[in-house]
This record gives sequence, C-alpha cells and structure tokens, in this order.
Amino acid sequence: MLISEMDIITPQTVNDCLLILSKKETEHRIIAGGTDAVVRMKEGKWLPSTWINIKGLKELRYIKEINGTIHIGPLITHTDIIHSSLLQKKANILVEAAREVGAIQMQNMGTIGGNIGTASPAGDTIPALYVLNAAVELQSLHNKRLIPINLLFTGPGRTVIKPNEMITNIIIQPQTENEIGIFQKLGPRKAQSISIVNVAIMLSMAKDRECLGGKIAFGSVAPTIIRAKKCEALLPLNPLTDDIIENIAKIAWKEVMPITDGRATAEYRRDMASALLERGLYRLMRRWERK
Amino acid sequence: MKPSLNWVGKRVKRIDGPEKVTGELKYMTDYHFENMVWGKVLRAKYPYARIHSIQTEKARQLPGVICVLTHEDIPGFNGFGIVIPDQPVLASDIVRCTGDAVALVAAETQEIAEQALRLIEVDYELLEAITDAELAMSSSAPKLHPDGNIHSHVKIINGDTDAAFKEADIIIENTFYSPRQMHAFIETEGGWGVMDDEGLITIRCPGQYAYRDRMQIARALAYNPELIRVISSPIGGAFGGKDEITVQIYLALLAMYTNGRPVKIHLSREESVIAGIKRHPFKVQMRTAAKKDGTLLANEVRAVADTGAYASLGGAVIALAIEHSCGPYKIPNVNLEGFCVYTNNGISGAFRGFGVNQVCIGIETHLDMIAEQLELDPVEIRKKNVYHQGDISSMGHVVKTSVGTFKTLEIAENCDLWKNRSQFKKEVSEPWKKRGVALATSFHGIGMGIGLPDYGAASIELLPNGKFLVAVGCEEIGGGNGTTYAQIAAEILNCDISKIKVVQGDTSKTLDGGTVTASRSTYTGGRAVAAAAPKMIKLLTSAAAEILQVPLSDIIVQRDCLTAKEESLTYKAIYEYLYIHHKPAKVEGHFLLPKEKVEIKGSGGAPHHLYGYLTHVVMVEVDTLTGETDVLRVVSIPDAGKVINPQGLEGQAEGGAVMGIGYTLYEDVIIEEGFHKTKNFTDYIIPTIRETPVIETFPVEDAEQTGPFGAKGIGEVVMIPIIPAIMSAIYDATGARIYHLPATPERIFNALKDVKNKMPNIQGDKNDE
Repeated sequence: MLISEMDIITPQTVNDCLLILSKKETEHRIIAGGTDAVVRMKEGKWLPSTWINIKGLKELRYIKEINGTIHIGPLITHTDIIHSSLLQKKANILVEAAREVGAIQMQNMGTIGGNIGTASPAGDTIPALYVLNAAVELQSLHNKRLIPINLLFTGPGRTVIKPNEMITNIIIQPQTENEIGIFQKLGPRKAQSISIVNVAIMLSMAKDRECLGGKIAFGSVAPTIIRAKKCEALLPLNPLTDDIIENIAKIAWKEVMPITDGRATAEYRRDMASALLERGLYRLMRRWERK
Repeated sequence: MKPSLNWVGKRVKRIDGPEKVTGELKYMTDYHFENMVWGKVLRAKYPYARIHSIQTEKARQLPGVICVLTHEDIPGFNGFGIVIPDQPVLASDIVRCTGDAVALVAAETQEIAEQALRLIEVDYELLEAITDAELAMSSSAPKLHPDGNIHSHVKIINGDTDAAFKEADIIIENTFYSPRQMHAFIETEGGWGVMDDEGLITIRCPGQYAYRDRMQIARALAYNPELIRVISSPIGGAFGGKDEITVQIYLALLAMYTNGRPVKIHLSREESVIAGIKRHPFKVQMRTAAKKDGTLLANEVRAVADTGAYASLGGAVIALAIEHSCGPYKIPNVNLEGFCVYTNNGISGAFRGFGVNQVCIGIETHLDMIAEQLELDPVEIRKKNVYHQGDISSMGHVVKTSVGTFKTLEIAENCDLWKNRSQFKKEVSEPWKKRGVALATSFHGIGMGIGLPDYGAASIELLPNGKFLVAVGCEEIGGGNGTTYAQIAAEILNCDISKIKVVQGDTSKTLDGGTVTASRSTYTGGRAVAAAAPKMIKLLTSAAAEILQVPLSDIIVQRDCLTAKEESLTYKAIYEYLYIHHKPAKVEGHFLLPKEKVEIKGSGGAPHHLYGYLTHVVMVEVDTLTGETDVLRVVSIPDAGKVINPQGLEGQAEGGAVMGIGYTLYEDVIIEEGFHKTKNFTDYIIPTIRETPVIETFPVEDAEQTGPFGAKGIGEVVMIPIIPAIMSAIYDATGARIYHLPATPERIFNALKDVKNKMPNIQGDKNDE
C-alpha cells in the first residue's frame, strides 16, 4: 500500500465511527493525534488502506466527575490533562505522568486513548492509570464493555481491543484527601525521552509516616505494566522512615523481569526499579510532610 | 591596534539574525520548484559484500521514473574523498559499509523514487564484516582496500621515554574509549542540481568548501569545472559533517539525465545516520610519568581510530590527535603513535575538534590523577607544566605564536565556581545526590598543518546603491562569520555596518578562500577582508580625488563618506563616477597563512603555527541512585586572541559546551556487526534545553599579531576540555572514574557499584574496559 493511495475518512460521530469499524471489507486503522500512527506509517509497519481520523470527534474529548469517579474521554490530549484543574486536584499523578510524555508538541497532539491503544510497556500514562484503578470502556456498534486496565494489555503493543471496537471512556478513581501519588521516570535524558524504567506510586496515609496501603505500578520492566504486589504488601507494616523505604525498595528488583534493549541492560533496569521506588517514596514522604 | 574601534570587539548583532530568527531565511533544502524531480540513493544492503550484478530494468519501467543510474553511468572517475578518493560514487564490485551508494533514481515523486529503489535488484555475495579496528589491523584480517586496513600511521618520538619512565616518581596508565558522535545538524544532507541548455550545471548544496566540492564533482563527471557552479551557503549546521562530499556528485549526475529539470535530494534523518560522516571512535592507551613535584616527565600514547569504510579526513584526524595528545604542556620525553584504520563501520571524518577531543580526555584525566596522588592542586600542576609563548612544546618545536593557557588558568582559579566550590558542592538538593567541580584545559590548531597550502581570499565591490558587497568563500555554517567579515570591513572602510552586504560560499560570486573548517574562517577570511579593504579605500580615494580634482592627499575618509575641504562625496556618487568612466569598482584581498617551516618527523603535518587555547570549569551533580548526571554550571575561558564579536564568541562557547556535554554524557551511534542500531533522534540522545546549564564565558584576549585585529580561532576548542572536566567532576563527586564515553547513567551507576565493591581500596588504575 502506497501512502499516496491511502484513504482517510473523518467520521462526525462516535456512532459513524463504530459503523465504519463494523465493516470488514476495508483494512482500516484509527488515527487520533498521530504521534505513534504516523511514525509507524513512515516505518512501513502500519499501512492500512483507510485511516479513520477521529481527532475531531468532540464528544470523546471531556474530563468530568460523575458519582465519585472521573471520566476521561480518549481524545483528551496530554496537554489537556496537564491543564485540567480537576485532575490536578484529584489525580495529580496522571498530570505528572502526562508532563513526562515526549516533547511539548507530542503532548499537544498525543491522546490518552492513543497512549493506551499503543500499549507500549514504556508508556508513561499507563502506570498512573494502574494506580488510579482505571477501567477502559470499549464500544462496538452493538456492544459496550468495561475492562480493568490491568486486564487490557496482552503484551507489548497488544490489547484485548477487537478490530470493531474503540475506546470511548476511561474511568478512574480520584485520589482522596489522604492519598498522595508520584510518578518517577528514568530516561536517557530529562526531556523528550522514552522511559528506561518508570513507576507510579500511590499511598494512602494516616498520620505522620504511617501508611494504610498503597499501589505501585512499574513500566518498562516487563511485557506490560506490572504492579509490585510484594512491595505494596510491605507498605503498611511500618512507618515509612528513610530506612524502611530503602528496605522496601530493595525488594522491587525481585518483582520485575526486564529485557536488554538499546536503552539499557536488563541488570540496570532491575537495579533502577529499586532506585526509582526508593527515590519516589522518599520524595513522596517529603511532600506529605510539607502538606 | 588603535584603541578606539567602532565595530571590532563590539556586540554587533548578527547580520543574518532577523531572517534566521523569524524563519524567513530559506535554506537550500527548503526550496521546492514546480518542475522539480526527486532523487534517491540506493544504499548497500550489507556492510561488506561483493556485487555480482545490478539489475535496474524493473525500476526503469516503473511509471514516473525518469532515470536509474549505476556506476556504469559515471562519465569520469568513480571515486571521491578529500585526501584520497577511495570512496566510490556508486559501488561497482564491492560494498564496504551500509552507507555505500549503489544506484541513483530520479522520479516524479519521492514515493515513486522509493518504490523504484525497491525494484533495483542487486546480487550480493556476503563477506564477513570487519567491525573492530584492532582486529582490522591484524595481519590475518581481510584487506578492505588494496593497501591494507591501516590507512595511516603517525609516530612522533621526542627525548628518551624509556629513561624518563625509569626515573619517574609516579606513573599512570589507562585506556580510554570514545564514542561515534553524530553531528546532528538540523538540516540533513541534501540540495539541488540542475543543468541548463548551455550545459552549465548548478549545484545548490550546503558544504564547507564550494571550490573543492566543485573539483570533486568535475572529476567524477569528467566535466569542465568552469561549467559547474556550486552554491554552498547558508548551511543548516555542519560541524565538519559537510566538509566531505555529501550528495553533490549524485545531484550533478542526476541533473545530467533529467532533461533540464531541477533534481532534489534530501536525506531522511535515518539515511543521514547511516550514510553521513561521524566522529572517529578512538581507543587511546596512555602512560604518563611525573616527578614528585608534579613536573611531567614523559608521555606514551597509542591511539587507534576507526575511520570506517573510507578515509575521508581520517588520516588528518589521527595526525591532529597525536599532535595534541600531550595537551598544551611541555613534556620533554614523548613516544606517540596513532593509527587510522579501515573497518566496515560506516564512515568517520571531520568533526569539530578533529581528533583532539578523543586524546584530551587521556592527558587531562592523567594530570588530575597525578595531582591527586601527589596532593597537588589541579590548577597548580597545570600551571607548572604548560608551555608559554617561546617555549618548546612536547612535540619539540618552539611555539612562536600567542599562548593564553596560563592566563585562562588564572581566570579559572579566581572564578566564583572554582573559588567557592566547596560551598557549592554542599548545596545538593537531595541526600543521595553528590556534586563535583573540576577543570581541564586544552588547545586546538588553527588552519591546516604543514603540507597543505592554506590561503584566504576576499573581494569587496562597491554597489550601485552605495553599499559594499563583501564576498568570502568561507560559508555561513551557523557560527556568524559573515557578521565578523562585515565588522572588519566596516571598521577599515569607516562606514556603518548597514552599508556592508556579505555573500559567502558561491563559486560564481566568491573567490577560492579555502574551507570553513579547522577553526580558520574568522582568522583567514577576516585577514583576507582586512587585505581587501585598504585597496577599496585606495580605489575610493583615487576616484574622489579625480571627481573633486584635488590631490589625493587632500581626501579624508570620513564616516560613510569621503571629503576634501568643504566638499563631501557619498559612496553612491563615487559609484556613479566609476560606472560612467568604465572603471572597476571591485578589489580583491589575498592572504597566505603563516606556516611552520620544519615538519616534525612522522607527524603527518605537525606542528601548526597557531593554536587557540581554552580552560573549562564545570560543576556536576550525580544522582547516585540512578547514575544520572547533570552538568549544573560551566565556565568557559577561551583564549581566542582579540575577540571580534563577544556575542559571537559566547555563542560558540555555549554551543560548544553543550556539544561537549552531549559527547560526554549521552551521544553514541551504535553499530553492531556493521549495522546501525541507532536509527534516528529517538535513540540518538542529544542535550535539550533541560540539559543545558548556566554557561559563563570569560575570554582571555591574548592578541595574535598575524590575525585580523589580533584574532585567532575558537570554533573547535570550545567543546574540548569540558569533556575531561565533566569526567573529573563525576570523580570528584563520587569517587568513580569513567574511561568509556558516553558516561551514560548505566555506566556511571556501574562505576559507582565498582567503587562500593572495591572499598576501601579506591585507588585503582584499572579500567572498566
């Protein structure tokens, strides 16, 4: 398929889009911000006969609070997330993660739905969505289902999303008053980089450094994002003093199974899982004490 | 020089600033023409293979394809290369790297051209790629070129190193590895070619020496160079990467087959990564001896440079590296040896610093190690060993020109960062972070060494509108040399700078004035302008005397006009007089660079007559949990001779510092088994503004008598000493030494682990290999 011969369809409503997706005669792919799709096309990996351009679908670009949950439309860009006062107040870990995505231009164009759909093990917003207990709504022409984020991905670049489905909503649990979160990323440089390792940490705090429980999600250290359940189990056992933090962080390398690639070796990634957890917990405690 | 200067030494704004800042300026690869066609290059599929046949029939038959060219279509000599033309324009029987060009296509669209490339069938027989320079040097390795794999070998021996090592109190020995840095210019290689009805070929392609590009094109085309016009300026960045031929010959070849339609080639970043020239990766083994008081006694160096498949300027790079391998110090006994070696790893060539970067890390690290063991101050040990003007260098020659090293060291030790370093080091933001401060000094030859003719030329023409057109061959590479030329011209002509127009890099408009390389364009081009300007004054005053009918001695050159008694003449009035009387309105200035008379035996061109010097002080902060390193502050202390434009100097100093940070901490083009693992800027990491520290520039103006207004050159040394300075600062912060660049977080983290494991015996001279 030559790029000059490709078609591009721009549906006006979600229903139109689902109708197009339900037809099987053409080979199609959805494009929103294009920050991944265009690159894949350039590399010759994604060459559909028809692009379905959903970037203009206003009905999928929203952030709202409904019955104690927050609903985020898949066409919300990273920049939208960064500027949302609701998310800043009640899901600031997602705001932090969105800030770390690529360059400003990519934050402007790239969407959260796209970040989920691309299913990169190094995706920056996904660990944050894990610790916010996100569920992803998938719609087809005649069906709608809600998939918990930890069951959405089947492997690197692979999800349970069917060809006739699209993401129509992302539902997260807002952070409560005593919940604090942090996103930590290690890349080959500070700006515009792909994660070597990243981690999202969310803690539920009592007084001082007593922790009631927490969630820890690592990126780039396994085929998909993973939760560090052993570390999580240790969080409420003792007040999170600097010594305890170091001890918990040391466990992290046992929970990850990274690979060596151009960015880093597996050994380094393992060590960095511990390092980022230690650094994140330490910084979180500083923040908590200043709160 | 006169104390009061109007333009020289002033913060004159870039004459090309507004159009660059607003984006109004079009670089040559920005242009599109209505009837244009696209050219594409078929690159080799394998790093080392024999070609049995090339079938182009299917490609030719594709609708929209205008021509498909192979080595059989080259009218002249199938080769190019600045020093020796060992690189085929289009491969015929063998490919030696994946950057090798095998065929060219011109087509109506880029897409059709790409399709056509896929339809060209090349029958390859795979050969085992040689990807390690040391292995390539062994006698058992297959020969990549008829004369073997050692392209060049330089050896300098001075004094008696054996005896010196015996009497030494301290000996330090290490091996250093440096990366394959990419120029990463924003404008990838590309340009335009067109041939008109009269057979005149015009090539618009950013390059660093239009006249030499023209000769290389003419040789491949077997075509009269007078019928080839090369426009090579402005350049969207080059840093040495456009010194060699990039796509000029492809453009000219295709232009011969496109029926007068302009043909454009513009490499994608991915193709630029594979085919473009890179900095030579080096392995440098160094052994240095000193006395108890810190006096350097001897230095032994063995450097091996991987030049990849073709020489380009590799021979000159290794020669310059060896010439600079002992730093700006007087070491009485040296034994220095360098090899430039062919492999199947892409192609290496010219890059800002030109081999000095790779060796500077050795000598500067050794000075710090010696100082530490002898409990000497890093500034003191350097001050003790630097040569001064008139001293004998480590190469054994008397340095006759200006030497500012000592002064740069004095400024370094008195700058805020160095003086208050113990305070700054305490101000870490988080408990696991550690700060270090270090300094290093280096130097860099200006102009070509012995054996290469080096000259400058410029012309100045009075234009009908009363302005002056200053024409210099040296291209606008991004550094602002055009503004420098305008300042020098305005200064001597005594006019406002707005009266000066500058044209650069166009064989139809500028004289051959040599390359824009070797930190030479301010010095050489400036001197040529300074040679032409008095002739223009003479032309103006003679004309004025004739117009006013007064003796020549009555004419006074005033600001923006010429006067005699009460009468005043504008430049425009003078032009009109010259025009009516059919008198020339253009003058030329020529300048031959001073050279050393005696070449150091075996050195391949050393010594240089002139050197620029620089000291860097840096502060880093290392995150010991992850190995991430931030350069927080940089002080750059260049000895550039007289500074023509402080703003321009700061631009060079800041850009150079950031490029040095990139080299030290982030950048490397990874090639495995001859194939590039690094594809584009996704995995080639260059510093962004978030990695850019506070950079202060404090120039030492040690005037060079032969330079224009006392100027020297600074374009390269600005990125050099910062490299070992960062390495030493990391050590100062953490106790971990890095011998293998780039010092990525992972390498630093592993070095930190080693330090922890080796405790308490930190003092090892062993390498991390």
